[in-house]
Amino acid sequence: MDQEARLDYLIDYLWSENPNALEQMVQSKAGSVEEKIALFRGLCNIRQPEPISEQFVKVQDAFLTQWNNERHLTSLHDLEAVQQQLYLWQGDITSLAVDAIVNAANSEFLGCMQANHHCIDNIIHTRAGVKLRLDCDELIKAQGRKEPVGKAKITKAYNLPSEYIIHTVGPFIDQRGTSPLREQLLASSYKSCLALADQYQLDSLAFCCISTGEFNFPNQRAAEIAIQTVKEYMRNTDSKLQVIFNVFKDEDLQIYQSLLARKE
Amino acid sequence: MKKRGNFLFIEKNDDVYTLSMTPELQDDIGTVGFVEYMHGDTLNVDDSILNIEASKTVIDVASPLAGKIVERNEAAINEPILLSSAKTEENWVVKLTDVDEEAFNQLEEA
Repeated sequence: MDQEARLDYLIDYLWSENPNALEQMVQSKAGSVEEKIALFRGLCNIRQPEPISEQFVKVQDAFLTQWNNERHLTSLHDLEAVQQQLYLWQGDITSLAVDAIVNAANSEFLGCMQANHHCIDNIIHTRAGVKLRLDCDELIKAQGRKEPVGKAKITKAYNLPSEYIIHTVGPFIDQRGTSPLREQLLASSYKSCLALADQYQLDSLAFCCISTGEFNFPNQRAAEIAIQTVKEYMRNTDSKLQVIFNVFKDEDLQIYQSLLARKE
Repeated sequence: MKKRGNFLFIEKNDDVYTLSMTPELQDDIGTVGFVEYMHGDTLNVDDSILNIEASKTVIDVASPLAGKIVERNEAAINEPILLSSAKTEENWVVKLTDVDEEAFNQLEEA
């Protein structure tokens, strides 16, 4: 099966198991391969955490392996430390081949369920595959309540080039702006991810800019808290973890460059 | 004597320390809709006391002091909105004993 044939199979499967999918979809027709990828993504995004056939997973994994690997992947060896154990890299976090990447999750914890939404949670779940949501569902059901802000949970990364995903829910900023509690919760998200990475004895961890996207945390202040919290953690724990600050937007790249250029 | 820490008030009466919600915390999280206490009566500093689902967020509230839980606000489990109340007799969270008085004294004044 080539990629297009795999997509056709996957899309058919997803349509047939969810007859009501149409209402939630941005787009429902697909001609080109790109459109089929978008359709496949949307159908995966809205899919409830229900059991999936082995055959689907087999075809999906074959498709995702090729789709994920036809991009240039970046590993720690490609990067140069800007400060001891600290790295800065701009790009798509799902193309990082490191031990763990951090996902900015929400308290429902199932991954973004909005078809083709442009957020990190969405692309991470899309490129990892549908089994990631099943894992998240199991974790959150075992917990018996929604995921609190500032904590962290780890899952396998499935089809992503990284080994693990560490999911954390950052604070949401409404029209009233940041507050001491929200700043502390953001720091807590960073600390919880670092502690979990060390607990799993990982060597490298890539952070996204937690809370800055959909959650509206001001970029400059978020970056200050991120860097300060990671440095404090390193000092207090003697952790050997290599930490990558992954930025997507140019604005964040500039902020991190300027903050990391300062030595203590 | 009243202190604050981890966005909670701590009021000392003899050897019993009552932890309650600060207006700042209440304001930040919105109306409380669900409350679940953690198991176990022994707390270390920063251990979670309870999980709160409120209109604006879901958070674990952590203890600013080590100690032993002698009483929980059981009424808040059935009526979570009590934790959004302005009155301490309604919005208290736990009562602790076996608290190091020195650690209490070092907390910020309320």
